[in-house]
Amino acid sequence: MNNLLECRNLSKSFGSVKALNKVNLSIGQGRIVGLLGPNASGKSTFIKICNDLLTPTGGEIRIAGKKPGIETKKIVSYLPERSYLNDWMKVSDIIAFFQDFYSDFNRDKAYDMLKSLGIGKKDRLKTMSKGTKEKVQLILVMSREAQLYLLDEPIGGVDPAARDYILDTIISNYSENATVILSTHLIADIEKILDDVIFLREGQVALTGTVDQIREESGKSVDSLFREVFKC
Amino acid sequence: MLGKLIRHEIKSTARIFLPLYAVLLVFALLNRYLNPLQVFDSSGTPNLESMLKGISISLYVILIIAVFVLTLVIVIQRFYKNLLGDEGYLMFTLPVKAWQHILSKFLTAVIWYFMTAASVVISVMILIGADKLFDFLPQLIQMIREAFGSSGPVVLPAFILSQMAAGTLMIYSSMALGHLFQKNRLMYSFAMYCALYAAYQIILAILILLLGNNLFESLLQSAAPTPAQLNSLFGMLAAVAVLMAVVHFVLINHILTRKLNLE
Repeated sequence: MNNLLECRNLSKSFGSVKALNKVNLSIGQGRIVGLLGPNASGKSTFIKICNDLLTPTGGEIRIAGKKPGIETKKIVSYLPERSYLNDWMKVSDIIAFFQDFYSDFNRDKAYDMLKSLGIGKKDRLKTMSKGTKEKVQLILVMSREAQLYLLDEPIGGVDPAARDYILDTIISNYSENATVILSTHLIADIEKILDDVIFLREGQVALTGTVDQIREESGKSVDSLFREVFKC
Repeated sequence: MLGKLIRHEIKSTARIFLPLYAVLLVFALLNRYLNPLQVFDSSGTPNLESMLKGISISLYVILIIAVFVLTLVIVIQRFYKNLLGDEGYLMFTLPVKAWQHILSKFLTAVIWYFMTAASVVISVMILIGADKLFDFLPQLIQMIREAFGSSGPVVLPAFILSQMAAGTLMIYSSMALGHLFQKNRLMYSFAMYCALYAAYQIILAILILLLGNNLFESLLQSAAPTPAQLNSLFGMLAAVAVLMAVVHFVLINHILTRKLNLE
């Protein structure tokens, strides 16, 4: 397995519900991959399994040849949907925390990005707005020089201006040769930055390919193809 | 990594504990100057001064109880919120093993148990004067020595530590078990605690019936148990507690590594 991320027959059930059903994927280095699908299609479940936050019920997954665990956590930078910041912390506390636990964390880069948003070291996370917290979290995640970035709905709950900021931050900060997988259902906004797309439907891969390929073969944009594939 | 986790855990909790202890100590100092213990000596009619003293000593006692309760609340809340709540998304994606998370939470809790006990003792020393406490201390040691014999200094601390371990890990365990449910996790955690507690009591009762016969016979016949009997009873309780703590640790570790399902 030379691919950065590889899974075979990956399955996850919650009781009788199959959140992921025999997913097979290979994702190489240096790609920006859109993990696309309607709500409850298994996007978050897939990303959580990659992060060892869920244990698969079947099949297998390898990241850089290893099962999700300590070794993969060192090279995977994850942005969850939820805000995981400890409210009592100051900006300098959370930066020190990341610095402490991730050897690939670039503190100066994080401070630079925060500074350009007007966020200081002494600012308290508690007093920040929801949107600002999301940006801080993204900055922390993108300040790691990771091999794989897993971003779960990074532009889910923000306004269009913030959306642009977030996409710019992702594009201009992921380290070379790294792969970015981002899940979303807002395809039109991110289509222009994607190399590859994976369509998930009811826990199965409905379609996968490069964006160019899709445009050429179907003669449609990813967004309109998505609307067609997932037509209700 | 364990060291870093503990350091971070202490930092996250110290900001609540240290001010709490400070309030307790300041209050003890205040009480010392109000000299409220005199309330009980004075036989005169109640007046404003004695009323004030009465209120202030009551508040002090309530504060001590509050410090104990808050210690427990913070220990519970740290595990629930930091590992099983939204903050779990950060904690469980650190390059750290689940057992290190459990151990860092537990060891930090034990540190705070001792700190809480120490701050209460210090506050009492402030209130009644250190000299009086030091007068009393040799008496206490003498009493323990008479009851437990020469092995008291080993058996008693082992007993106390084992109870802390079993008690704390049982609480963590009930929260981990509650986490297995999809909904109403807090409610199930509480139910699990009741179940685990009941199970623990039943196990203890059976063991005491099986092994403790000797002790109870002599307790029924004569008055005071011998040091050997007390030592074997406390030693047994400690051994059971350690065993329970280990079982809980393994269970929590299994749930956090294989069954984790953050909301």
